[in-house]
Amino acid sequence: MFTELNSILNATPDSFTQGEFILVSDRQSDASFLIHHFLSFYLRARCKVCFLGLVQSFSHYSAISQRLGVSLTQAREKGQLIFLEGLKESLSILIPQETTTGSQAMDFLRDPTVGLQRLYEFVRSSVSSDGGGEEGVEEWGPPVLLVDDVSVLLSLGVSAGAALDFSHYCRATVCSQLQGNIVMLVRCHGEEAEDDGSDEGSEWLLKGLTHQCSLTLHVQGLPTGYCRDIHGQVCVYVDANFLIQTEHIRDTDLLIIQVFRFS
Amino acid sequence: MLSELLQGTDTGAVLIIQDSCSYSGQHLLKSFISAALNKLHFHSAYTDPLGWTNRSAFTVHQFCVEELTHLLKQTSHPKPVTLVIDSLSWILRHMSPPAVCKSLQQLKKGGAVRAVIGLLHADMHQRGTVGSVCHLATSVITVAPGTKGDEAVAKITKRSKLGKVTQDEEIFSIKGDFSVTVVSKTSHAGRRQTEPEEQQMDPTANLTFNIRLSDTEREAKEKLALPFVFSKEKKTALLQSGPGSGRILYEPDANDDYDQEDPDDDLDV
Repeated sequence: MFTELNSILNATPDSFTQGEFILVSDRQSDASFLIHHFLSFYLRARCKVCFLGLVQSFSHYSAISQRLGVSLTQAREKGQLIFLEGLKESLSILIPQETTTGSQAMDFLRDPTVGLQRLYEFVRSSVSSDGGGEEGVEEWGPPVLLVDDVSVLLSLGVSAGAALDFSHYCRATVCSQLQGNIVMLVRCHGEEAEDDGSDEGSEWLLKGLTHQCSLTLHVQGLPTGYCRDIHGQVCVYVDANFLIQTEHIRDTDLLIIQVFRFS
Repeated sequence: MLSELLQGTDTGAVLIIQDSCSYSGQHLLKSFISAALNKLHFHSAYTDPLGWTNRSAFTVHQFCVEELTHLLKQTSHPKPVTLVIDSLSWILRHMSPPAVCKSLQQLKKGGAVRAVIGLLHADMHQRGTVGSVCHLATSVITVAPGTKGDEAVAKITKRSKLGKVTQDEEIFSIKGDFSVTVVSKTSHAGRRQTEPEEQQMDPTANLTFNIRLSDTEREAKEKLALPFVFSKEKKTALLQSGPGSGRILYEPDANDDYDQEDPDDDLDV
């Protein structure tokens, strides 16, 4: 966990702002370390976490979280973590077998034009509490939705508008209704293009999500170029107003060194 | 002009607040809402705008004059209301721009709605779409981040019914209770251009050493002849050897004729 980042955001596992939509974005860089940070942060805060892992397998996140001191397998068994393994589910849709039931969440792979309504319904059923106390079921804190990442949906054929609708619905349910938090990762390639808004690519999606979110963490390389010790910078924007410029990320501050590769 | 617009809009007015990713117009919209609070009713299309959960009070596809009038009549308000749309960009994403413009134009003509205030994210749409929607509006406020932290710049274009267009640019800041304070006004764009020049820092201002010249020093400096600047007299004096100085006689020697590219002097080029 990054204590400096926590102090900048004024958040500890014991007290953090609820109802926040945090957008993590990167450009020609890798911001997934922030997703690992937030995953371990919210699990430590005893929140009910719904994780949409669309780009990596469960074991990948599990291995990294182990180094951060949190066991994902245990959290999943206890019911604190609901993990959608996008890669596995997509396989069951692309190669259907009789024995696989699976959730309908990844149905958009069959027909991307349909939109992400099923995925939203999966999220909604995961984060809403089961209502009534069963014996032995622990009470978890506010629900948290983590998405890694949203831009991969674009490459799967989903339109950026559908992705924005999905994030809007998640925000309405998780943030406003249930007072939980959302952390979404958006990845952009290439330079910031001065396009007309007509190209519905990842840049347009980033703009749309920026309008929706309350906090943006933008990860990019250093503007001065490559540096051996400092891998990049994280710019923190609150409500689109510049809060703090940089948090330079050095190798020694991180517990995950091998996963962390800035180019 | 910003305070006038906040005080109240005329009948048939359409006000569009244009914002971008660098500065959100949501706060200004909330200021308008709080300023006009006695004439507003809240309709939530937030939770279910596309009908996904079948629990929606109002979906985005219902944005047309008939449905809106029907919805507004349900509130049983005697006076015509001010309609605030947060945000128009949402509607423009799902409905075609001509349909939205048509609805706005019909709303502008009056009836159940006295005035319309809408928030538009300018960087989410094509310039043509933004231009068409703003053309319908009687006033357009474009917000952008200002130089200081909590200040923002608002460019206001107002069209009166007689066709007169007034433009203004103001710097404002919004406090916690959504009240807007106009910090300063800049009425001409030209004036703004001279301001940066005046504000340019004088680099010789705060130095720890002295780089200014006193009068005597300046005189001495101008009198000084630089060593390698040749005046005509100096040139001729140097070129012609004076009396008594030695003369140099030179006869070309074979050893002096060393060609770098042909050291043995045997190339037949």
